[in-house]
Amino acid sequence: MFLAIVPAYNEEKRIGSVVQSLFEHVDKVLVVDDCSEDNTFEESKKAGAVVLHHKINCGQGAALETGHEYARRNKAEYVLHFDGDGQFDTNDIIPALQKIKEKKADVLLGSRFLDNRSKIPWFKKYILLPVAQQVGRVFGGLKLTDAHNGFRILNINALKKIRITQDRMAHASQIPELIQKYNLNYVEFPVKVTYHEYGQCTVGGLRIMRDLIIGKFIK
Amino acid sequence: MLAIFQILLVLFCIFAIVGVLKRKEDNLLGPKGALFWIFFWVAVAIVVVWPNIVQRLADYIGIGRGVDLVTYLSISAIFYLLFKLHVKMESLKRDFTKVIRQDSLDQLKKK
Repeated sequence: MFLAIVPAYNEEKRIGSVVQSLFEHVDKVLVVDDCSEDNTFEESKKAGAVVLHHKINCGQGAALETGHEYARRNKAEYVLHFDGDGQFDTNDIIPALQKIKEKKADVLLGSRFLDNRSKIPWFKKYILLPVAQQVGRVFGGLKLTDAHNGFRILNINALKKIRITQDRMAHASQIPELIQKYNLNYVEFPVKVTYHEYGQCTVGGLRIMRDLIIGKFIK
Repeated sequence: MLAIFQILLVLFCIFAIVGVLKRKEDNLLGPKGALFWIFFWVAVAIVVVWPNIVQRLADYIGIGRGVDLVTYLSISAIFYLLFKLHVKMESLKRDFTKVIRQDSLDQLKKK
């Protein structure tokens, strides 16, 4: 089974169309509603997704790990991480799945910089992302062309090993760190990202660093 | 002869040590924590009774005044405790997340 995991928080406007468009490319769609205050839960159900509901807002990393746990219990062979705000292009999914299979990789990581389809705000492109890349290298050690790209595919082997404990946005740095730790094979793949909102701001970046540092002291 | 404030502070330290022992008895404090806090309050009492000790220690380390040494040590201790508290809070949040996760999966099973 190829399962799409969509963490969602207050995405009632876009989640329905995201779920519907995913069904053309994956076997099953799981939306993890992270205690949204709007109708994300109902809209996801209406669109045909399996929906898990967090009773308290825990963060994107926590929602993804909830999806992982569901995938492990339901013996998914591949899982796709896909954002609920419609910023990714579903046309990238099948070629990405083909790529991970062809390369016999455990993890596929999306990258905005392997082609020029994504229009990235300049501050993000030239200031925030290079800093995030360096931080990622310090904590994770992987030399990636992109940082904090939410488009990923994990196979069953990676799913068994990668357990996300960073509940908020720092999971995006933790995943490369775990890939390195467990010596998993990974491949990068060009994906298109359309920006609806700005995404991580500088303060968000500092929070991620704080979470990564604090995380080192938790057993 | 001890000044009134010294007597009061020593009494306070004794109360604090009794409090630590009580918490240890009620299993609210582990052996390491209890030892640390007893050591801490005994040290405070010693400094209150013989303040020159701090001055001598400050001279030995190269800090001008005894009170400065106490200030530096106190600030360092507060920062350390704040950091530990932060780590503990984060660890609790993660435990919390596990409960929320389990609940969400259980809810799906029930349906």
